[in-house]
Amino acid sequence: MNTYYAANLLIFAGVDIIACLALNLQFGVSGIVNFSFIVFQAAGAYTAAILSMPPDTAPDYTFQIYFGGYQLPFPIPWIGGAVAGGLLALPIGLVVLRRLRADYQAIALLVTSIIANTVINNARPWLNGAAGVALVPQPLQEQLNADTHTYQYLYIGLTAICVAIVWFIAARIVNSPYGRSLRAMRENEVAATALGKNPTALKMTIFIVGGAIAGLSGAILVGFLTVWAPSTWLYPETIILFAAVIVGGRGNNVGAILGALLVPVGFEEVTRLLGGLNIGPPQLIPALEWVCIGLFILGFLWFRPRGVAPEPRHVFPGAPIREDTRWVEGTPAS
Amino acid sequence: MSLLVAAFGFGLVSMSVIALAAVGFTMQFGITNMINLAYGEVMITSAYLAYYVNQAGVSIWIAMLGGAAFGAVFSFLINRFVYAPFQRKGTALLGMVIVSLAVSLMISNAMLPIVGYFSAAYRERFSRLLHFGSLALTVNQIAIIVLAIGVMLAVHALLRYTRLGKAMRATAANPTLARNCGIPTQRVIDVVWLITGALCGLAGVVAALDSDSFTIANGAGFLITALAAAVLGGAGQPYGAMIGAVVIGLITELSAAVWAPDYKQVVAFGILVAVMLLRPQGLLAKRGALAAAG
Amino acid sequence: MLAARDIHRHFEGMHAVDGVSIEVMPERITGLIGPNGAGKSTLLAVLAGTLPASSGTIVFQGEDITRLPAYQRARRGLVRTFQLPSEFAQLTVLENLMVAAPDNRGESLLGALLGKRYWMPDETRLVAQARGLLKRFGMNAKESDYAGTLSGGQKRLVEIMRALMLRPKLLLLDEPMSGVHPSIVDEIAGYLETLRDEGLTILMVEHELHMVDRLCDPVVVMAQGKVIGQGGMAALRKQPEIVEAYLVG
Repeated sequence: MNTYYAANLLIFAGVDIIACLALNLQFGVSGIVNFSFIVFQAAGAYTAAILSMPPDTAPDYTFQIYFGGYQLPFPIPWIGGAVAGGLLALPIGLVVLRRLRADYQAIALLVTSIIANTVINNARPWLNGAAGVALVPQPLQEQLNADTHTYQYLYIGLTAICVAIVWFIAARIVNSPYGRSLRAMRENEVAATALGKNPTALKMTIFIVGGAIAGLSGAILVGFLTVWAPSTWLYPETIILFAAVIVGGRGNNVGAILGALLVPVGFEEVTRLLGGLNIGPPQLIPALEWVCIGLFILGFLWFRPRGVAPEPRHVFPGAPIREDTRWVEGTPAS
Repeated sequence: MSLLVAAFGFGLVSMSVIALAAVGFTMQFGITNMINLAYGEVMITSAYLAYYVNQAGVSIWIAMLGGAAFGAVFSFLINRFVYAPFQRKGTALLGMVIVSLAVSLMISNAMLPIVGYFSAAYRERFSRLLHFGSLALTVNQIAIIVLAIGVMLAVHALLRYTRLGKAMRATAANPTLARNCGIPTQRVIDVVWLITGALCGLAGVVAALDSDSFTIANGAGFLITALAAAVLGGAGQPYGAMIGAVVIGLITELSAAVWAPDYKQVVAFGILVAVMLLRPQGLLAKRGALAAAG
Repeated sequence: MLAARDIHRHFEGMHAVDGVSIEVMPERITGLIGPNGAGKSTLLAVLAGTLPASSGTIVFQGEDITRLPAYQRARRGLVRTFQLPSEFAQLTVLENLMVAAPDNRGESLLGALLGKRYWMPDETRLVAQARGLLKRFGMNAKESDYAGTLSGGQKRLVEIMRALMLRPKLLLLDEPMSGVHPSIVDEIAGYLETLRDEGLTILMVEHELHMVDRLCDPVVVMAQGKVIGQGGMAALRKQPEIVEAYLVG
């Protein structure tokens, strides 16, 4: 394994960890089945791209069509990506999360994801349609003019800082009274409402926070890949992240990180290893991987619905010692 | 004007295809309480089965029956071996949505190495064009419309006039009560999966025939239109789904005529959002699921 | 305390509550009885805001609350419980109580992000209050148990304690004894009496007539969505149409 590959892997791991922490806040902690999660990542990526790219009339860029092109310096594109993810959560959340039953919410979000992809794919003048945007400038590269090797370390560092910030936010939320209310809403929304909790406010805040973090993950990704197209954010990408959170342990930030390392990163690795062996037609291995992800989801929901690292029991200081330490095998995110 | 008439003709075909798909989908939800997100994938898989039979030299109108039979068996097996065990385990509605999405993903990807990325088409995709004034439809399209009307009447007769239909309605309204009244709800649910699966398979073949050529990726689009029609009519209600299909079929084809055909699904989605905002219980939600049947 | 005027609630063409007017007197336990399907639970849900009223007005402590959402009614001291167990299964018993506690600075997103130092004082105060309740209801040994593992009766107690954390002025109880082991029914009744004597107002739906006899005065009788009588239990037993509609049936 060369250092280039290792750097790649670390950056993807960072992005997946950030995304899984955000999805865990929405799905694991709050019970919102956000099947359009990847749309928020895409919103962040596109926003970061057009904030950092020159206008599409600039030399070298005329082969694509997109709006904007502001050439803003780092870190504005990344912040912009996060803001875009958060802003997008507002209209979607207001339509989907207020009046619909929970299972309808999930379906509405799934449909939103498929349709958003179709629209961007077909509408070339906005974001260059199916071909997507390319030659997105890398953050700070112009100022530093570093060689590839040094730049990779820099990028790992920037990603690590973002992971730390997101971890900090997620940990504070999960361990707070606010996080407790989110979990109560997940367990029984009607009862939480009867105790004075405003479910719309709880859902909207966490939907926006999760959307912003997802947007940040997209900004990091596009800065590294330098390309972004509808084929990178098809709805099954959301399902990988769901698989990660379910496998890792819903409601537990550590579980979300474990899941990110086991599922998306792990599968990436397996593809690379198996890809070298040349078995069957080229689409065989990726397709079988998706089948495996489905099996992972079903297997964990059946045998270990609380995941590898289950949500911890929150015990208050000064609590009486208890002998019985079993946990409830509860219904998933009801 | 003639453009609109032509669009109306296409609308008739579209609504027939959508109605076939949406009625099965909505009955699965209404009677078995399962939002089956794998429905679109079962449709496209059945379409492929019919394709292979068709390639072997059998007319598509006969291969269609094979597609329907395959859809019935496949849906039955998915329920028997995946959905029903999870439901018995007490998995919540939301958990079931995730389960069905995982199943959907597995089907489309398991199919991919078999059928490949390339598009397929039935041998009978071209047929003679008949003119009725400025309305022009192919023989295939007319056959699809007739078939859909026949199936809708059959569904109506099933729900309204047979003991099985009564048992299905009772199970939909209140499974515990139905069981206590001596209705074998388990058997009813098995039969429902067979019937709705057959509708699903049939709809898949018809949708594939209507769209000239198809690929495995079409499953998601099939699902969305069926969903939109079902939700529009009030989820779980076959008659609502028929009305939803009429509305969505007409509006999408009219919009394709005056705007752009690439956005048919987007228009269906727009209708879906509007319904969710204005009337989340659907157009026909006066009484419980299946109650409109009588 | 609470006055509801001409409440209607239609479900898909059915009149579950059909023109009910009731008044709840302070510091008493008002009983709400009637045959199955009489609309008792629906009325309770309409009063608490879980279901919106189709028409009618609800006045609580001099304020028209008809249009207020459920969570705001709860914050004003109008708190309900549920007929089916509605504990937060994967939260501990103490967490169940803490969720209900009002005035915690850590309950907002901003408060959460500001960290423990910002909200810990509130949390400590409320934990002490919640532990006081646990002790009083004999549940202190269970504080770190997941609520989903408790028995039916213990879940009821958690629900009542949870409601009490909100310092309610009027408690709406929907069959608090259903699903409870007979040996604990008396215990719960005793708690309710003490709460009443301390000045809490309660409106409860109840099936067990001997419990209604023991706890409730006055009693409201409903049948087919309408109030068919109200007053003391002894007086109600003398009215033939009520006895026919419910008491013997």
